[in-house]
Amino acid sequence: MAKQINVALIGNPNTGKTSVFNALTGLNQKVGNYPGITVEKKEGVCKLPRGVKAHIIDLPGTYSLNASSLDENVVIELLLNKNDKDFPDVAVVVSDVENLKRNLLLFTQIKDLEIPTILAINMSDRMKYKGIQLDIPLLEKELQTKIALISTRKNKGIDELKELIINYKELSVKPCVNASEIDPNYFDNLRKAFPNQLLYKLWLVITQDVNFGKTDRNEVDAINSFKTKSKADLKRLQQKETIKRYQFINSTLKKGHTIDLKSAKDLRIQLDRILTHKVWGYLIFFIILLTIFQAIYVWSSVPMDLIDTAFAFLSEWTKNSLPQGAFTNLIAEGIIPGLGGIVIFIPQIAFLFLFISVLEESGYMSRVVFLMDRIMRRFGLSGKSVVPLISGTACAIPAIMATRNIESWKERLITILVTPFTTCSARLPVYLIIISLVIPEGKFIGLDYQALTLMLLYLIGFGTAIFSAWLLNKILKIKSKTFFVVEMPNYKLPLFKNVVLTVIEKTKSFVFGAGKIILAISIVLWFLASYGPGDDFNNAESIVTTAYASENLSSEELQQKIASHKLEHSFIGIAGHAIEPAIRPLGYDWKIGIAIVSSFAAREVFVGTLATIYSVGNDEEETIKNRMAGEVNPILGGPLFNFASGISLLLFYAFAMQCMSTLAIVKRETNSWKWPTLQLVIMSGFAYIVALIAFQVLK
Amino acid sequence: MNNLIQNILVFSALSIAIVFLVRKFIWKPRKVSTKACGGDDGCGCH
Repeated sequence: MAKQINVALIGNPNTGKTSVFNALTGLNQKVGNYPGITVEKKEGVCKLPRGVKAHIIDLPGTYSLNASSLDENVVIELLLNKNDKDFPDVAVVVSDVENLKRNLLLFTQIKDLEIPTILAINMSDRMKYKGIQLDIPLLEKELQTKIALISTRKNKGIDELKELIINYKELSVKPCVNASEIDPNYFDNLRKAFPNQLLYKLWLVITQDVNFGKTDRNEVDAINSFKTKSKADLKRLQQKETIKRYQFINSTLKKGHTIDLKSAKDLRIQLDRILTHKVWGYLIFFIILLTIFQAIYVWSSVPMDLIDTAFAFLSEWTKNSLPQGAFTNLIAEGIIPGLGGIVIFIPQIAFLFLFISVLEESGYMSRVVFLMDRIMRRFGLSGKSVVPLISGTACAIPAIMATRNIESWKERLITILVTPFTTCSARLPVYLIIISLVIPEGKFIGLDYQALTLMLLYLIGFGTAIFSAWLLNKILKIKSKTFFVVEMPNYKLPLFKNVVLTVIEKTKSFVFGAGKIILAISIVLWFLASYGPGDDFNNAESIVTTAYASENLSSEELQQKIASHKLEHSFIGIAGHAIEPAIRPLGYDWKIGIAIVSSFAAREVFVGTLATIYSVGNDEEETIKNRMAGEVNPILGGPLFNFASGISLLLFYAFAMQCMSTLAIVKRETNSWKWPTLQLVIMSGFAYIVALIAFQVLK
Repeated sequence: MNNLIQNILVFSALSIAIVFLVRKFIWKPRKVSTKACGGDDGCGCH
């Protein structure tokens, strides 16, 4: 079998590496028009012409080979370790046609490592709008490489790139810049001390700030002992190296790169002036948020009601069509209502991701990051923390992983600890159902009260995250300093294909990821609610019939009483009553208590759990919303889900650390159980106190 | 007969559900994976 060609996709952040990866492999990894999307390497296989296969590795974006954060370290470790199974046979440096000068710095460094390197100039479709002209043959000659002019948006140049990859052995491995010229004596000594090592590799190891994990320690230590110059001297040499590289890049681009400003049609500067303005910028962002939440409510109410009714009908139909028995009941009362509790939210989730995807694709999200940086700095964080916090609106897991590009440990730790406060998509089902039950319909300046409440909950989540960050910044005694440079990508018309793919992928991930857990939990809950120990459960019929013998109950009412008695004395009823004293002060009954406990697996499980429990205790065909609206508070009387208990529940879910997977990822990223434990105790304790105060004040 | 089959199906479904939940949240079998997390799906967040 022929060996696969190892191809590494490298480049500055936000040059479209992942888009190139998707175009080569046919995969659909997440792409976005803002930096920091990729923090780990991703792999895929590309079929090249003539039956050759390539193993493609998409690496996190980096501006140079001087690593300052963990994600950048991934790139350098791979390029310095020839023994790594993923060590590239050929490196493809993906660059943005509008930022060639800056992108070429990384290119020249990789060339110095004597790895065959292809320069893929992406976004070539924008050249005509920007008046950019490139002399490709001249650039190829100067840079001693082959260039592929590509546009992943228009799917152009990918075949040419594949052709260059397949012929990688013809590429020159001669460096463009001779870095040793910055201090010939020092480099000469270095060469003599390590005659078998590549000179530029030695130089990179000596000057790195980040410790290597995978590279052979002995080798690194031996090289480190060669730090005959002080740290300051080495930094000065590094600066000299960068200047030398830019001198080479400038002279090259002067010959092969021209910009005709007359033919450029750029609105970017004018738009940026408004969208990042210190007053208008925030106002526009606020209006965009309002529009999103209003649209989520208005557009999705019809499909949501349709899905709810369809599941109620399906449950009833199953019960009437299948042979009577325990398994039929499991399907009709356990599985279908449980799954209905997640499927009902597909319209809202799809609309939310539609808006987020359009904002990301258009380039607006980077402006939001810039705007937020101004606020974050007052609270001890930099704009680098904004990307994880904004990603957290989808899910805290990738958001916490996205903190890897934060150089300062203190800032990274704080971001990891506060990110779960951001309103993730798993909270949305809980919010939507409770809001629809307890917030009245009506409008305020044309905006629904319910939409405003939802937006308020998002703001509370973000506000709490920032406030906690400020608090942690004061408490944690870790010294560190960080700098934030944000890439302002160009504005682009969102690509329909990318937007649709993102919406489908995110919605699929929401439904199928949570769906499996909800299905399993629904089965277990149905079993616990349908079986019970002792005579109280087994003789429920005779107990209830005797107890109500004197009352003239209809057969339907009697059946209802029996079902309710059985549920109270089932396994789940007993467990629920055991935890009830702890949650009753918050305005919840034992059924809500069980839903809170089970939703520790994933917050979305809350609605499915209640749908299953209510379904077991009720024989009538009802939608989830109607069943919840019909529940009566056993102690106080009146609706169980009223304004006070509803607000209490909303606040509990806004603050509580109700996600096992997030705790596991925090443990992995901090390499300690201390932080996830503290996070769980503090967040959930705080949530309990706030929910308690809310109920006691509002009841 | 119908009852027996239905009960067998219920307990089978219950066993599968419990095994799935235990493997998901309590005990994860060690596996060597070459697939990196893409950020969105398969992140184990749900």
